[in-house]
Amino acid sequence: MGAVALVTLFIGSVLGGAHFANASMLYLVAVLISAIAFGRGPAIVASVAAFVAFDWSFVEPLHQFTVADPEQYVSLLLFLLVAAVTSQLAADQRSRTAQALDREREAIILADIAGLTAAPDLGASLVAAAARIQQELDVAAVGILLRGQLPVIAPFSSDVDRLFRGASSAPANALSPGTAASATAAGRPGRWVRVVSPLARDERARTRLHSVAIDAGGAPAGSLLVLRRAGTAPFRAAEDRLLAATAAQIGLAVDRARLRDEATESEVLRRSDELKTALLGAVSHELRSPLASIMASAGSLRQKDVTWSDAEREEFHEAIEQEVKRLDRLVGELLDLSRIDAGHLVLQRQYHSIDALVDDVLGRLRNATSAHEIRVDVPDDLPPVSVDYLRMDQVLSNLIENAVRYAPAGTLIEVAARVDADGLRIEITDEGPGIAAEDRETVFEPFRRLRRGDRAIVKGAGLGLAIARRLVEAHGGRIWVEVGPGRGARFAITLPLDAEAVPR
Amino acid sequence: MSEGRARVLVVDDEPAILRTLRTNLRGHGFDVETAGNVRDALAEYDRARPDVVLLDLGLPDDDGLVLIRNIRGRAPTPILVVSARDEDRDKVSALDLGADDYLTKPFSVDELLARIRVALRHVARPETGTDAVFEAGDLRVDLGRRDVRVGARGVRLTPTEYDLLKALITHPGRVLTFSMLLRQVWGPGYSSEGHYLHVYIARLRKKLEDDPQAPRWILSEPGVGYRFRAEGP
Repeated sequence: MGAVALVTLFIGSVLGGAHFANASMLYLVAVLISAIAFGRGPAIVASVAAFVAFDWSFVEPLHQFTVADPEQYVSLLLFLLVAAVTSQLAADQRSRTAQALDREREAIILADIAGLTAAPDLGASLVAAAARIQQELDVAAVGILLRGQLPVIAPFSSDVDRLFRGASSAPANALSPGTAASATAAGRPGRWVRVVSPLARDERARTRLHSVAIDAGGAPAGSLLVLRRAGTAPFRAAEDRLLAATAAQIGLAVDRARLRDEATESEVLRRSDELKTALLGAVSHELRSPLASIMASAGSLRQKDVTWSDAEREEFHEAIEQEVKRLDRLVGELLDLSRIDAGHLVLQRQYHSIDALVDDVLGRLRNATSAHEIRVDVPDDLPPVSVDYLRMDQVLSNLIENAVRYAPAGTLIEVAARVDADGLRIEITDEGPGIAAEDRETVFEPFRRLRRGDRAIVKGAGLGLAIARRLVEAHGGRIWVEVGPGRGARFAITLPLDAEAVPR
Repeated sequence: MSEGRARVLVVDDEPAILRTLRTNLRGHGFDVETAGNVRDALAEYDRARPDVVLLDLGLPDDDGLVLIRNIRGRAPTPILVVSARDEDRDKVSALDLGADDYLTKPFSVDELLARIRVALRHVARPETGTDAVFEAGDLRVDLGRRDVRVGARGVRLTPTEYDLLKALITHPGRVLTFSMLLRQVWGPGYSSEGHYLHVYIARLRKKLEDDPQAPRWILSEPGVGYRFRAEGP
């Protein structure tokens, strides 16, 4: 209207009147400008106003709404038609441009969200996606509430949290009675539903809350919730589409994360299978080697084609005896290990003094330790500790035998005990080759045997430390290995002195 | 085999089995050398030049397979693997690398001695020449004339059947893995076409053996390959 008035003024004052045809062109320009600037409605108004102004100002008789010459009726109507068509074409063009811009923006945001949700960490990608949507739509808050995931709310506030949680526990039960009809659509993806939560104390917030269902792998997985700012217009189709597409992207991300988890799980299973196979291999090797010696010696004794000397017969007998003992020990250790792992170990706990235990063990191992220098540093005033005496004897024997096996003859093996912050601490320190940092955990796995300094693998099934760790842990204690002062190995055990800390 | 007594190198990391085998093999007239790891075994091999090697695969410093490869790089000395590993793929990889035989622990000493004797016979009579006549019981193969007879009965073999039989009898007593036989008879591109081999072995047994279900000569080593038995069971 303003444009039309301006044109009328312009023609009247500046040009001092104009030709009928030129004036109509100028009015058309005014209509076109309003169509481009303001869209369809204003353009129609401008067309009619231009028609009236043109009639008033340029059609004889001037300054009247009547038309003298009937021929000018045709001109006037033609003018109106051209103005209307031109303005509609221009307005169409304008709305198409606006749509294209909207779509471009949508595409950019969606691409961003797809990128964000493709990150390996689902939690972090949801947080990023929620923040992006919140910023892009300029809404009060965005929430992504998924089953089995912590709710993601950007920006977080406890009010919004309560509102969103109430809405996501919809459709049916959290809704007030009057909204039951719209609630039925809440489960469908991409459909707009106004969810009303009785938990929302802010009455106005209810009308601003939108929820889009998120599906993953064909099943409902949660919802995308958006709270508009107070006083803002309802979402347009473009925003609806954007949110539906975002919900679909989140669904895909959830699906991807599930597949990734499944892949990880199967990898874990595969590794545990590999470990079992390795264990089986180790067990079969450890069992078959002594059996091979026994069978070869027994077979030799039975052979009639050779006359064995007494010394040779003795050698075969001795091999059989030794290897049977070795098998017996191995079978015992395997049984121990499986009993403990199956949870069938029952500790017979009583309070014992640790210096008596150490004396017992060292007394029994006197022969085995004769080639080493043994130093004992166990005060006799240590508090008694609740242990299964025989099991703890087994642990200490294992550690001392280990030290004897790995440390060269003539070196020092020290057994020490003291009270520290963790309880009673026992240390067995040798001057052997020590244990490399990367092996300090694996030595406690079954069937691990370390190479000695001369690269020879020391005999034994490699079960002693695995059993020792399980026994100490059953006592509520800890066992680990560190570097001793002489660069050898130091095995340390702590046992709880506090009866409360002792698992029953 | 020098000066009448065959020399055996026993490689094992178990002192008990080394002692027992040393005593037993000496009692049976062999010179015995022992080694506890791959490094010592190679040194001992170069020093003593044994006629046969008994080899455990699980050695402390390296895998016994390494030793097989190293010995094969030096000489065709028969290698008998004596190992606690009993999986087919372990046997196949040892045999493919050039081991002659495979015995799983625990084993009977009588069987071990029999297999050492077979291995030593091959050393005494290496790969049969093309002009030779091969005989095992009443099976007679004239390699020069490509003529095969069982007793007085002439046996007609197709060229592939004949090549397969020839591959087997030129390594009597030795386990030939599926891929070895396939490569030798069908060519290098066929090493995984196991079904060809099974078909032809069945045909050979039908033509040669009295009872193809209980073969006298062409023995199966399940999962590993075949072995031609030159002497009675």
